[in-house]
Amino acid sequence: MIRFKNVNKIYPPNVVGIRNVSLHIKPGEFVSIVGQSGQGKSTLAKMLFCEERPTSGEVIIGGWDITRIREHDVPLLRRQIGVVFQDFKLLPQKTVFENVAFALEVAGEPIKRIRQVVPQVLRIVNLGEKIDRYPHQLSGGEQQRVVIARSLVHRPKILVADEPTGNLDSVNTHEIMELLKKINEFGTTVVLVTHNRDVVNTLHKRVITLEGGQVVADVERGKYRL
Amino acid sequence: MFVSILRITKFAGQNFWRNFWLSLITISMLVLTLLTINVLLVLNLVTDKAIEYVEQRIEVSVYFNAGVEQEKVTNTAGYLRDLPQVRDVETITAAEAYDRFQVRHAGDTAILTSLEEIGDNPFGPTLVVKAFSANDFPFILSALDNPQFRDAIRDKDFSSYEEVISRIRYTTDRIRLFGLGLSVIFLLIAMLIVFNTVRMGIFTHREEIGIMKLVGASNWFVRAPFLLEVIGYSLLSTVIMAALMYPTIAFMETRFDSYFDGQATHLLQYFEMNGWMIFGAQFLAVALISMIATGFAMRKYLKV
Repeated sequence: MIRFKNVNKIYPPNVVGIRNVSLHIKPGEFVSIVGQSGQGKSTLAKMLFCEERPTSGEVIIGGWDITRIREHDVPLLRRQIGVVFQDFKLLPQKTVFENVAFALEVAGEPIKRIRQVVPQVLRIVNLGEKIDRYPHQLSGGEQQRVVIARSLVHRPKILVADEPTGNLDSVNTHEIMELLKKINEFGTTVVLVTHNRDVVNTLHKRVITLEGGQVVADVERGKYRL
Repeated sequence: MFVSILRITKFAGQNFWRNFWLSLITISMLVLTLLTINVLLVLNLVTDKAIEYVEQRIEVSVYFNAGVEQEKVTNTAGYLRDLPQVRDVETITAAEAYDRFQVRHAGDTAILTSLEEIGDNPFGPTLVVKAFSANDFPFILSALDNPQFRDAIRDKDFSSYEEVISRIRYTTDRIRLFGLGLSVIFLLIAMLIVFNTVRMGIFTHREEIGIMKLVGASNWFVRAPFLLEVIGYSLLSTVIMAALMYPTIAFMETRFDSYFDGQATHLLQYFEMNGWMIFGAQFLAVALISMIATGFAMRKYLKV
């Protein structure tokens, strides 16, 4: 599903993003990538949805070699990968429904399908009742659930969550993590990037630890050790 | 595909309204550019009409020696009529020339007394030759240098009209050059404004564009609204220009017609007959140049 082979990312002039990273994530896995700030977690996550390209090495995602991917194939790759960010990235002037529908609109999906899929996905994230609300009328946890719903509308094979609980309190954090686990149970590979110790420790899933841009630990059913 | 086009149109419309004042400035600048181009076009038409008007009045008077045989005059007139460059030849006999002189100087007793003192008719016959074009006169004049007629001809009168035409041409050429320079300057300013408008559009929509890219919008889906927006600007500015041109031309036409002694300039008719082509070509040209400016702006500021 996801394979990194001797991947390096150097930002000009000579700043190391990640160094010599090799890893393999199987379909349906739930993997946490942990590390302190500036250790390369986000760089690695950005490579998963082609926001960053490696300086050297090979990155294979769902059959796509992103080191050699053509520009017009990038959108097709991104439709197979859901992305959730700490800062939500919702459009404030659009309702919950419109924000989620936006992902399908830009992909050219017909209105009929949008009207069918969006309410379904919003029900999965428990926002079926708040379909007409605007982002500012929602709590942080609810906003993050809208983002998760938006990332799910394409039925992605991979969900990349980059610090999804960074702006949330413990109750909302718990809700979001339960949601991510549920999505993983449906078969979606989840890559969680976080430095939240409690979240990682309660998951009991695979943990990859980054330090200085390198993988220093990769443990099945691991814990946050830094 | 149809759905995508509709959505792109919607996004282009949003770009327009969210930067309404900037859009207005862009359209105004494009209208100004088109205005200079159309003023040049009208100037061209009016100049042609002015030259045609003057040319129609150009005539060469061929004065024969007094006492020349009428047959010679008739032969010369026939020879000139056979030339393809000649539109009309009018013959004025010596007696008619004498009468016309008397009429022309009816108030000048000194001249009339002098004429009486001469006794005989001092005037020879005259041919008044009109050509199809002012450019034909040098040929006609050289044709009269034929030895068959040369000795019978006292004088030929033409030069002053030539100067009028060359003056008209000189003045209009200079105005045209100035107008062309002005059009190029306006066009460059318009392109800079289009560039800036698109840049502002990209800035205003940066959040939306970021999300579009994140959720898998294709490159053309992200770029197309900006291109469509400038096509909209071009279309609107051309329509505004056309809407301004027709009443202006209709108003100006009556003034031009009276200036040319009631001769119709047919300016409005020209625009009515060629309007689609004129404004269609202007729309295509403005749209193309605006799209090139948009392309530069997107290449610089829209990393898809």
